[in-house]
Amino acid sequence: MTIKNSLLRYIGSQRKLIVLSFVSVFVFLLANLSLPLLVGRSLNAIGSIAADGTFVLAIDFRLLTIYLVVALVLSVLGVLFDFVFEYAIGILTQRIVKDIRDDVFSKICSVPIKAIDERKHGDMLQLEIQDVENIANGLFSVFKQLVQGVLSILITIVLMFTVNWIMALGIIVLSPLSLFVSKFVATFSHRHFKSQSALMSDLNALSLESIANLETLQTLQYEERSLADFARRDESLRKEGKVAQFSASWTNPTTRFVNNTIYCVIGIAGIVMILYTPSYPILGMSLGSLTSFLSYTNEYTKPFNEISSVAAEFETARFSFGRIVDFLAGEDDVDDGSTLLEKAPTEISFEDISFSYEPGQKLIEHFSQRIRKGEKVAIVGPTGAGKTTLINLLMRFYDPTKGRIAFDGIDSRAIPKKELRKYFGMVLQDTWIFQGTILENVRYASPTSSDEEVKRACIEAHADSFIQTLPHGYETVVSAKSGLSEGERQLLTIARVLLRKPEIVILDEATSNVDTRTERLITDAFDRVMSGKTSIVIAHRLSTIQEADVILVLKDGNVIEKGRHAELMARHGFYYDLYTSQFR
Amino acid sequence: MSRPLMPLLFQEERRPMSSFSLESARPSCDKIDSMDYKVSTALKKNMWAYIVGPAFKIIEAVFDLLIPLFMKAVLDLSFSSDPRTIDPISKALGNFIALFGQWVPGNEKLSYALVGGFIILLMGIVGLGTTMVCQYIAALAATRSGTDLRDALYRKILTLDKKTIEAFGQGKTQTILNSDSFQVQQGVLFFIRLGIRAPFIILGSLVFSFILDWHIGLVFLGIVPIILLIVFKVMRKASRQYLVIQGKLDSLSSMASDNLDGARVVRAFSTQDIERERFSTATADYRKEAIHVSKINALINPLTFAIVSLATILVVLLGGFDMSNGVMFLGAPLQPSTIITLVSYLSQIFQTLVLLTNLVTIFTKSIVSWKRCDELFGLKPSIVESPDAKTKKIAVGEEIFSFDNVSLSYAEGGNAALSDISFSLRKGETLGIIGGTGSGKTTLIRLLERLLDRTSGTIRYKGIDIKDYSIHALHSEIAYVPQKSVLFKGTIRSNLQMSKKDSSDEEIQKALRLSCAFDFVNAYEDKIDHEVEEGGKNFSGGQRQRLCIARGLIRKPEVLILDDATSALDLLTDRQVRHNIASALPASTKILVSQRVSTIKDSDIILVLEGGHVIGKGRHEELLKSCPVYLETYQSQMQKGE
Repeated sequence: MTIKNSLLRYIGSQRKLIVLSFVSVFVFLLANLSLPLLVGRSLNAIGSIAADGTFVLAIDFRLLTIYLVVALVLSVLGVLFDFVFEYAIGILTQRIVKDIRDDVFSKICSVPIKAIDERKHGDMLQLEIQDVENIANGLFSVFKQLVQGVLSILITIVLMFTVNWIMALGIIVLSPLSLFVSKFVATFSHRHFKSQSALMSDLNALSLESIANLETLQTLQYEERSLADFARRDESLRKEGKVAQFSASWTNPTTRFVNNTIYCVIGIAGIVMILYTPSYPILGMSLGSLTSFLSYTNEYTKPFNEISSVAAEFETARFSFGRIVDFLAGEDDVDDGSTLLEKAPTEISFEDISFSYEPGQKLIEHFSQRIRKGEKVAIVGPTGAGKTTLINLLMRFYDPTKGRIAFDGIDSRAIPKKELRKYFGMVLQDTWIFQGTILENVRYASPTSSDEEVKRACIEAHADSFIQTLPHGYETVVSAKSGLSEGERQLLTIARVLLRKPEIVILDEATSNVDTRTERLITDAFDRVMSGKTSIVIAHRLSTIQEADVILVLKDGNVIEKGRHAELMARHGFYYDLYTSQFR
Repeated sequence: MSRPLMPLLFQEERRPMSSFSLESARPSCDKIDSMDYKVSTALKKNMWAYIVGPAFKIIEAVFDLLIPLFMKAVLDLSFSSDPRTIDPISKALGNFIALFGQWVPGNEKLSYALVGGFIILLMGIVGLGTTMVCQYIAALAATRSGTDLRDALYRKILTLDKKTIEAFGQGKTQTILNSDSFQVQQGVLFFIRLGIRAPFIILGSLVFSFILDWHIGLVFLGIVPIILLIVFKVMRKASRQYLVIQGKLDSLSSMASDNLDGARVVRAFSTQDIERERFSTATADYRKEAIHVSKINALINPLTFAIVSLATILVVLLGGFDMSNGVMFLGAPLQPSTIITLVSYLSQIFQTLVLLTNLVTIFTKSIVSWKRCDELFGLKPSIVESPDAKTKKIAVGEEIFSFDNVSLSYAEGGNAALSDISFSLRKGETLGIIGGTGSGKTTLIRLLERLLDRTSGTIRYKGIDIKDYSIHALHSEIAYVPQKSVLFKGTIRSNLQMSKKDSSDEEIQKALRLSCAFDFVNAYEDKIDHEVEEGGKNFSGGQRQRLCIARGLIRKPEVLILDDATSALDLLTDRQVRHNIASALPASTKILVSQRVSTIKDSDIILVLEGGHVIGKGRHEELLKSCPVYLETYQSQMQKGE
């Protein structure tokens, strides 16, 4: 879908508000812009220029009162409809923005894991937060400045022609002058602001890095060099900033200058026309008309400047919207299986699997393995051997390029992901804690369990003792950045899985940040809960996997050794080296 | 205004950079601290700009006030039949216009109009020129103050210790440096640009309106406070609401971020729909608040417009009455030209008021930021250099560290993170520290490095109380490789040179070899010049740790501390690195912290920590007999029955 169509789809769902805003902006502008006309008429009701070119006082109080009462009524109308308009476009913008934001979030939930792994999280967060905010600003400006501005220009032109066509033509010719000047200034300063903001983020990155790692800096005695580095970047920022600030500060004075000039030209031309009107009636100029025109000059120029001042905003919004449309157009995760398993699988078999993340780079080659219900399978091997990749394939975060994984003989691709995954419980090395209470975090995967059950799971995961020391115990709100240590977070995610009591549990370095004594206790807890069920364990520390039914030693994507602990030790191979190295 | 002229026109003197040059003598930490810098220090440096800048701006403001009067004079001179109806101001200006001669012979009125127009144009041009001078001075002074302020802030931050910054707030520190300093800069900029001009225009327009027709002047006087009141009230309400919105946006952001980080968990548990619903509730909440703020904002324009329209109507009405009643001002009856002029002043007042309220917002923010910056400058580091700091050289075998009943608690009266630690270590020996999560291992290390000061007891380094030892010397004698490996944006070379300035390629390669990083580094095409991204995220955990160890080794330190620094290495590599260190640095004191018994079991002294207490001290064999926790840990990591 093109950008335009997507935008129309979002806006199209808000027809009533659109109509309301258009009607109200029209009424409000018509009312407001009629005021200068009425002020001019009122002045004409006070007196006029006689044939000899002098002013003659002749006040018509009845007419004056009528004009001013009408002006008053129009002001009130203008005020009311202005409010309705601005409020309506505020609602309109926020509604559209919510739809977009929800769509982006929904998309994040449905893209393949690959898309999330490959794209920087900060970038996607940018889509969700800043890009949507940019669209909000842009949309609001489109309604407020563009729609209101264009309408305002059109209405002013019509009204000016009703007063005096010669003068109206003059203003139409002269006014874009200020647009031209401010456009020139904006382009010039925009360039400097862009490089200023690049320098600024450069400086931010430097200070972010050093404040976060201050102790390292200090122990390395890097302070003075860091300061010199900072000062150097700060100095280039100053130079660029000075030009940026200076060039941006041209906008107001030059606009003021151009407007003053136009005011002067219109004023003087008006006076001259008034002087000659008695001799040439076609000029049709009066003092009142001059007053109206002096106001209209302003009203006519203002929208030009306002529109050009938000041009950058439009551009940013369009760019952000383009990014979002691209993201939304991305492919969804493939999930077209329809076979249900009906019960926990009794056998999982990897059948001649090959896989790599990037074409041309071999990772897993012809891997086959059968896992029966109730087995404890351990996978060991150096970093980069493909241990976690096997988990990715098993959970269908990725699909193998060759071969298949079968659950009781059914190709896993034929099973809906939700159905497949409901039998699994998984603890990863990278813990995931979301913003919420401890209770909510542990209960996440089993929403129906009671508080009691949650607590029992936490006790089993040896998390209870530290939870008790938190200020609000189980009700303490934690988040990704909260003060929990990595080990404590691991205990919580373990409790989460223990609570779910899955048929198959996957532990991928699940206790890497827990001390060895606690690790032992947790392993025992898992062995208890998982008796008769299947576990798949990846571990660096080999002490926890000695009782495994089968240990797969993986190196460069291939199983190089396979067997029970005792068998592998007897073989004096890679596993033996790995194992004994911890005691030498 | 041609573009290429810009750099020529506005070239300025180069600021001396020598004060930051690498060659300059390193000021000691306390010297930086005793600078007693404040925001005002940076601002005072540009005092001249606060006077000269606005002075130029006033010229333009005066012209802006005079232009409507000139227009009135031209109108009066053109349309009055009787010179007695012309007020003294218009007469005076008329005489001034007449000085320029008669441009259209025989048509005095036309001539007045043309010359008057010319003078108005001229004032506009001169005004534009003086304004530009002011704008330039403003940009110059503001960016200078901002840069000076930021440099000083950064300098200050570097003298602070982690504890002080954490108590103050790391995020806050960052914001002060990167955002508040700009806010202060912005305040300077707008003070010079508009601080004087805006009130001057408003006051001037008021004064002229009183002179021209004080009845109408009273109307003007009335609307100024009303408009100010409305705008401020609405703005205050809106800005409070903005804080609420910002909070909601932050929580949307952290929700989305949670979802991204937990993508696997969300999918594994198939909770996508729950997530969508949670998010949708949050966006609905955000929308509600955002609509609320747009409702508040939607009030400003209509309300102020209402006031201005009302004032315009009153001006015309009062003017009509005064004219029909022949009321005299300045000794002449009121003319319609006066009404036209007053309408001009009205719109000038209105425009400037809007500007003024923006200005007040900027100043309010700047003053808040100013205070926050001064708050940071006022911080006292908790680790301070002793006034007579000593250094000392000792030989292998002499005592290097001694702890005597050392305790530490992070918060006053809080639980002790370390209690009654006593041990002593000689130069060249190896100390092993083992303990579970939260046992106080890293705290102990931070005491050794004097990143913290003990609460009670004594710590001696080379026989001198560590508080009396020069921090500078201490840090150069100790190399500390922390648990969390920290790499900085740059190259591998620049990261290693952080530890030892100007180290040669050979030295770098040697250090890399010792830390088993040689192979992977030299596999890069650009070898040691390979780029290091922020936080070293283009390296694996194990690679990062090895680079950090190399950075520690390159300075051949007297004391080497490895705080769980090999946790991401496989066991074989871990052993190799330890072996390399032992043979390359025989005279250095090595302090190893680990959860693995295998890493520390060969140490000369092993401390077993639990809950901040030493529960076992001695060699491996002794501890197996004397310390049950050590034995249990050892056995849990050993093959059963071996």
